[in-house]
Amino acid sequence: MADMSGQASGEDHKLRPFYCELNVLSRPDGSAIVTQGETAAIAGVYGPIEVKPNKIHIEKATVEGIYRPKSGLPCVSDRLCETTLQNTFEAAVLTSQYPRTLISISVQEMQDSGGLLACAINAGCLALMNSGLSMKFLVAAVHCMINKTGEVILDPDNKQLKDSCASLMFAFDNVDKNIVSSSTHGRFTEAQYQEALLRCRTASTEIFQLYRDMVKKYAPTMG
Amino acid sequence: MIPTPDPAYRVGDSVLPGDDVSAAVRTGDVSKIVLGPGLRRLGSQVVVSRAGVLKMPKNNVFVVDAYQKRYIPVKDEHVVGVVTNASSDVFRVDIGASVTASLSYLDFEHATKKNRPNIQVGDVVYAKLSTAGRDMEPELVCVDTHGKAGKLGKLEDGFLLTCSLNLIRKLLSVNCPLLQALGQKWPYECAFGMNGKVWIKARSVKETIAIGNAIYESELMDNAQIKKMCTNLGLVIDSM
Repeated sequence: MADMSGQASGEDHKLRPFYCELNVLSRPDGSAIVTQGETAAIAGVYGPIEVKPNKIHIEKATVEGIYRPKSGLPCVSDRLCETTLQNTFEAAVLTSQYPRTLISISVQEMQDSGGLLACAINAGCLALMNSGLSMKFLVAAVHCMINKTGEVILDPDNKQLKDSCASLMFAFDNVDKNIVSSSTHGRFTEAQYQEALLRCRTASTEIFQLYRDMVKKYAPTMG
Repeated sequence: MIPTPDPAYRVGDSVLPGDDVSAAVRTGDVSKIVLGPGLRRLGSQVVVSRAGVLKMPKNNVFVVDAYQKRYIPVKDEHVVGVVTNASSDVFRVDIGASVTASLSYLDFEHATKKNRPNIQVGDVVYAKLSTAGRDMEPELVCVDTHGKAGKLGKLEDGFLLTCSLNLIRKLLSVNCPLLQALGQKWPYECAFGMNGKVWIKARSVKETIAIGNAIYESELMDNAQIKKMCTNLGLVIDSM
């Protein structure tokens, strides 16, 4: 229906161009496609739906994250992505509103050019927004890397990642900007971690602003 | 820690989950405030729980209007459902919620233990939710409090389509011209369920498809565009 783009101003925190579109799929209750630079992910949310008896929670909804790679069956590292997605969205959704139901969030990798997990979380969050499910807060994920000279580079692409010694992903909430989830690979010092965290947190405000613009853009279609 | 900017939200603004809209809600008479869907109380604050537009449909009643496809049962709403199972004493009806609703065979007009309503699996019913809540299975009835069916009951023939909940609300609002404009073209019957299911019965397949498409297309149109579309649709169908 419409798309949004945003590019960070200033050299200090530069995210790749962020495009998204909501309600792209007809079958799920909410869906979104997100591209961050060359990285793209599409997400669909089903819920609240019937839950299997072995996964049921009496007092809250079961949140299920499903991560599908571009081709083939999910492998072990994809399972890790899945768990991160599940834990992130379980924190964001107001699960007590929908007891004894299942909220299923499926994310399909379209293209990985660095920072796919962050892109998947953002796509999932936008799909949740589109589904109208009650949430405590929104999440925005930002990916960054530390290169061999010890510099922090925000939202790197595949080419830049070849020169990395550590890669860090943080997801923040939009209320207190606290970390909801994080995923790190490689070796880094505490100071580097703190710097990366600070820069990602600053960059996350930009993604939240995009979310807000998105809601504004789609508001007239809601009748 | 970056301090959250605290913009003063007002009615008509787009809001995101987690936004504190206490200031917007507390304007005017604060002795009684009703928080509708999309808003919740968190201590002394009023916090948004879904992304949409903050609206005040009535005085001191606040809601967040958001796009939604999945139905969450609400008591006393009218829904259209498909019977999925007919066991001894209750019918299971798929109304698009997380669980199927139950409809007792005694909750039909003139139904007794001897005189069961003639309803088979796959039939479409127009019913009212007598109980609904997040902790309970939704229950349907096909009679009003006087034991009369009114418009409720089995829907014979026709065609069932599913759309977003916002579209249903839009079409059922008083000032929406679609149903009247279509009615001036062809005679038809329809039933709108608040669960996003629409049942249409027209004279021919051609007219049914035309009406169905008109309903889908009107989602992104304003009233003037809807009227224009109906005029065009009438001309096209008549010439076919």
